Amino acid sequence: MTDKKKVAILWLGSCGGCDETIVDINELILGVVNSVDLVLWPIALDFKYHHIEKMADGEIALGIINGHVRNSDHAEMAKLMRQKSQVILAFGACACFGGTPGLANLRSKEDIFRWVYQEAPTVINPKGVCPQTTTRVDGKELTLPEMFESVHSLDHVIDVDYYLPGCPPPPYLVLKAITAFLENTLPAKGSSLASHKALCDTCPRNASKPNKVAITEIKRIHEVEADPTKCFLSQGIICMGPATRSGCGESCININIPCRGCFGHIELVADSGAKFLSGLASMIDAEDEAGLEKISDQVRDTMGYLYRFSLPISIMNQKRLQSDEVKSDD
Amino acid sequence: MKEKEPKIVCFSCRFSWGYLVSEEEIAARLENWIPIICTGKIDPVHILTAFRQGADGVLILGCPEGDCHYQDGNIEARKRITLLYNVLKSYGIERERLKLHLGADPEGKTMPQLIKEMTDTVRKLGPRSGDTTTQKKSATRTK
Repeated sequence: MTDKKKVAILWLGSCGGCDETIVDINELILGVVNSVDLVLWPIALDFKYHHIEKMADGEIALGIINGHVRNSDHAEMAKLMRQKSQVILAFGACACFGGTPGLANLRSKEDIFRWVYQEAPTVINPKGVCPQTTTRVDGKELTLPEMFESVHSLDHVIDVDYYLPGCPPPPYLVLKAITAFLENTLPAKGSSLASHKALCDTCPRNASKPNKVAITEIKRIHEVEADPTKCFLSQGIICMGPATRSGCGESCININIPCRGCFGHIELVADSGAKFLSGLASMIDAEDEAGLEKISDQVRDTMGYLYRFSLPISIMNQKRLQSDEVKSDD
Repeated sequence: MKEKEPKIVCFSCRFSWGYLVSEEEIAARLENWIPIICTGKIDPVHILTAFRQGADGVLILGCPEGDCHYQDGNIEARKRITLLYNVLKSYGIERERLKLHLGADPEGKTMPQLIKEMTDTVRKLGPRSGDTTTQKKSATRTK
């Protein structure tokens, strides 16, 4: 037996990018693997869930969970991890805020099923086959997890100790978080293991930002040749920097792409989308109401801009969460 | 069954609305009234929170154009509200449920009437779609 700290890595509703970023620590991952005892990592190692079920409560020192919670299987696994782990780290934008899949919350579950299994032009389904939670085949009962009404962030299902945002979190922050865990230097519970500043504060283009940004026309990034040295907002291109936590290493900005907000809200902000909207409004320079309406219409896909990663934790969407009552069978 | 009376939340700037009378006097005549200093202080967060907590409509009373005590707070409010309409639409909340009215009434006598007009507009729209507050309560009760 080893006395190394046990670490489990689990994915829920995830694309695999968060696991990839762990691999992207490259050779340094060998040091991490040597200092901990990995007990679960479905994407990379062949441990089984029942191994975890047999463990004592709190036996895992650190449980790293990426992905959002959308179905009963996700919720069940998240709860098992909580029970067996001393510390739970919500890893990546989906676990922290619900992530991009959270935009599905603008549609009902019924709408989504209807589209995916019946109405989408690529679907041929004359018998109207639709997945059920239980199906009998050859006298045997097959089961599938139940899809919830909406997408949830991890902390709406279980108690979360730390958050590491990003889509995915950059490898240097992953290493920093794991090092802090190994060296017992983690900050207060509930903290985000990233910068406490807004992206604008650390943006290399900050100096080019005029004192008062005056937007007379909103343009999309693919419609213009953006000046790679100037603040995006000053060019009329929507950039979520003012309302987004820094720590990403400005990876998008550096390739001339505006911030999309994957690091989520800054400390004490309840709804980063609403806050950004407020900031954007103050930058708009319109002569009259008609001009204002015109600029407002130029914002294509408002919800996609404001809540690309955070709809499930937004003020209006929180309401749907309770109706799901994911926590009810606790 | 009697139709539920729409709930209107009213924010009003104290510089133009009812500053000659006491707050208690206005509050006695209005439900869900929130006096503020400058409509420029109203953040989309406040409006969304009102809708989230079950408001059927939100009425914001600001100072006349060019008369803001802080220069352009009312214009800032208008900009925010115009952008916010796009967000409300995604939640199935009609534009008519959020209104900014710029004007002045030092005694606040017209405020009940303005709220009544808003109530009538909202009543015509019917119950708010996507409002799960009532459904949620019944669901919890049957549990």
